[in-house]
Amino acid sequence: MAKRLYLSGNEAIAYGLVEGGVRFLTGYPGTPSSEILPTAQKLKIQYGFKGFIDWAVNEKVALEMAFSASLCGIKSAVTMKQVGLNVAMDPFVNSAYIGPKTSFVVVVADDPGPHSSQTEQDSRIAAYFAKVPVLDPSTVEEAYLFAKRALEISKDFEIPVMLRTTTRVSHGKSDLKLSKLISQEEYQPSFKENLKNWEKELQRLAATPKLRLLLHKKLNEKIENIAEKNMPRFFYEGSLLILTSGIVFSYLVELIEEHNLQNKITLAKFDMPFPIKSQTFSEFRRVISIEETSPFLELQFNTEGRRNGLVPKEGELTPEVCERILSKLGLIPERKVISIPPLKRPSLCPGCGHRIGLFALKKVFGKKAIYCGDIGCYTLALNFGVTDTVFCMGASVSFATTIKKVFDEAGKDKEVIGIIGDSTFLHSGIPPLIDAYHYKVPFLLVILDNETVGMTGNQKTPAQKVSFEGNPLNSIKIEKVLEGLGLEFVKVVDPYDYKENIKILKEAREYLKTSDKPCVVIMRHPCVYTREGLLNNPKRPLQVLEDKCTGCKFCVIEFECPALNFDEAKKKVFIDKTLCIDCGCCVFVCPKKAISEVKV
Amino acid sequence: MKLVILGKGGQGVLFFSRILAQMAIKEGKSVKATEIKGMAKKGGTVEVQMKIDEGHTPLIKRGEADLVILLSPELEDYGKTFGEKILKFTEEEMKRAIERVPLKLINTYFLGRLLAKYPVFDKNTALEVLDEENRKSFLKGYEDEKKNV
Repeated sequence: MAKRLYLSGNEAIAYGLVEGGVRFLTGYPGTPSSEILPTAQKLKIQYGFKGFIDWAVNEKVALEMAFSASLCGIKSAVTMKQVGLNVAMDPFVNSAYIGPKTSFVVVVADDPGPHSSQTEQDSRIAAYFAKVPVLDPSTVEEAYLFAKRALEISKDFEIPVMLRTTTRVSHGKSDLKLSKLISQEEYQPSFKENLKNWEKELQRLAATPKLRLLLHKKLNEKIENIAEKNMPRFFYEGSLLILTSGIVFSYLVELIEEHNLQNKITLAKFDMPFPIKSQTFSEFRRVISIEETSPFLELQFNTEGRRNGLVPKEGELTPEVCERILSKLGLIPERKVISIPPLKRPSLCPGCGHRIGLFALKKVFGKKAIYCGDIGCYTLALNFGVTDTVFCMGASVSFATTIKKVFDEAGKDKEVIGIIGDSTFLHSGIPPLIDAYHYKVPFLLVILDNETVGMTGNQKTPAQKVSFEGNPLNSIKIEKVLEGLGLEFVKVVDPYDYKENIKILKEAREYLKTSDKPCVVIMRHPCVYTREGLLNNPKRPLQVLEDKCTGCKFCVIEFECPALNFDEAKKKVFIDKTLCIDCGCCVFVCPKKAISEVKV
Repeated sequence: MKLVILGKGGQGVLFFSRILAQMAIKEGKSVKATEIKGMAKKGGTVEVQMKIDEGHTPLIKRGEADLVILLSPELEDYGKTFGEKILKFTEEEMKRAIERVPLKLINTYFLGRLLAKYPVFDKNTALEVLDEENRKSFLKGYEDEKKNV
């Protein structure tokens, strides 16, 4: 029965994948891709089908898992953000050569802007690089339909298919008619069942370089066959042709209708921007490509666009930006640009264990130490001076190792600290720590363990003991991993226990003076953004004693809690009780002792 | 109808917008929205842009919103970039609202006031999508606005 639901693009993708028969879905959380997998988990519980739907430790592992499931004949998919695809690039490119045995879809969410990413990279180009067909939805509805179409193309041609979405499609919401036909698809894995055929199969599954050339040839044939049937869809009938794909198509439709440009512009929409047959579009007066975020159609069809400065080379192509492009083309009058006042910068949540933990770290190691940060909520510690570098997942450990090593080689003393979250550490912090130990580099690694993937919406980590379906799991203990590596100084502390944390950090500092090994302090406190974390948090209500507050703003600047605000009229700090969760941590912050307990 | 709803994390901006979306669906109207939460969670700015019964995308060009709903008065300057018509609830109104309904139902109280002032949706549609306690608080808001309390 068809049903109208109000879904986000990511939820729609999950419905499309599950309806299309995906029974093995994994991935690693990353904005704006994170909601796909949890939605599929809800559907699994609702419909009770067989299969595996859960997170992997990182994107490389996730892609390998999903691809190998498809080799067993189980329809599979993997989700990640665009920079996650960089982590998974090796198996991604390889999967095109080998080819899946049934549907295998790689869902990649790009982040033009960028809103919450390191880069604005365009995954359509990664698909081209790997020779993988890529679908680029322009609406929430297309996200749903293209998820199913991707599965079909993948199965028909035994080729991986990328479903590339962007922030505005993934996080856009729309009313949507769904068929909601979730079949109890047969779940029958098959691998190495026919030994007679196995020699031939091995030429694909374990191909040597010589055979790889043949696989490459086969891949090229598949790509050519898909391109042969792949045509753009044309809208309107003007002499100016605009090539586009993704959400920009939807913006252009709205602008053409708003400004009555139906007779001036023809839109060519590429549902699948690769692979596509080369064509000249010579019947049009001018051909321009408007697309996010790289000149992908522009390069394939040799059109105007970014190369002649019509389209901005960076940033999101918002409706306003698209409108300005149409103005530049002389199709509509120029509109006044409205300047947008800046919003308050983001900060760690009130009561976040990371804040008090990193405040203690700063207290013990001072402002001269080098703090190598990582990807996670705690990146925001740069607001209060406890992060000097932010690069990519796991780089806190490699940066800290290297910076320490470089100074050591020069015989110079330098205190270096790596700061990494629990999930990021398991994702890609372990390999550089192996090198740090191996090369005898003494630095402090602080692991902020809130037992969740916080920034992307509290997904589970391998520390969890129970699956989303209530089945027992083996819980990974980070301290065991560290001890296994050979580290001697591994201490666990709840950062809310400020005095104990200071004591342990001082011990670590002393240890590093004589040690040739890295040491680790695990600051473990549950994320207060989760219901469970908040419910189990201590209640230690505080007040600001106005007669003692000198208005020095030390707490506001050095602790940066959103609940601590400065009253400009009174020149005193006050606690915003609508935001404060009574964690009581700021009692340790005020140098004038003006923040004190509320006597009950 | 182009709507922008602005507030801080934890204020129920998303709840508010989802009720509006449910009402649109109930009335057979299309609804497109985008929820922008940013990096900060609790206390960070939450922005919802929503088109009801029009458009292909949720994004609203600056200056073109029909109505900007502010759940947090300090976002007024930012809100004004979307459109001139601003619906905000002053601190005084907030205080009065808390006297009328429990804090957790405050959003549906304001929804009542909103629909009494701007009939974006039929009152009965709201009554259909809301649960019992929210329905009561919605009606209080609706009647207070009509009576100009």
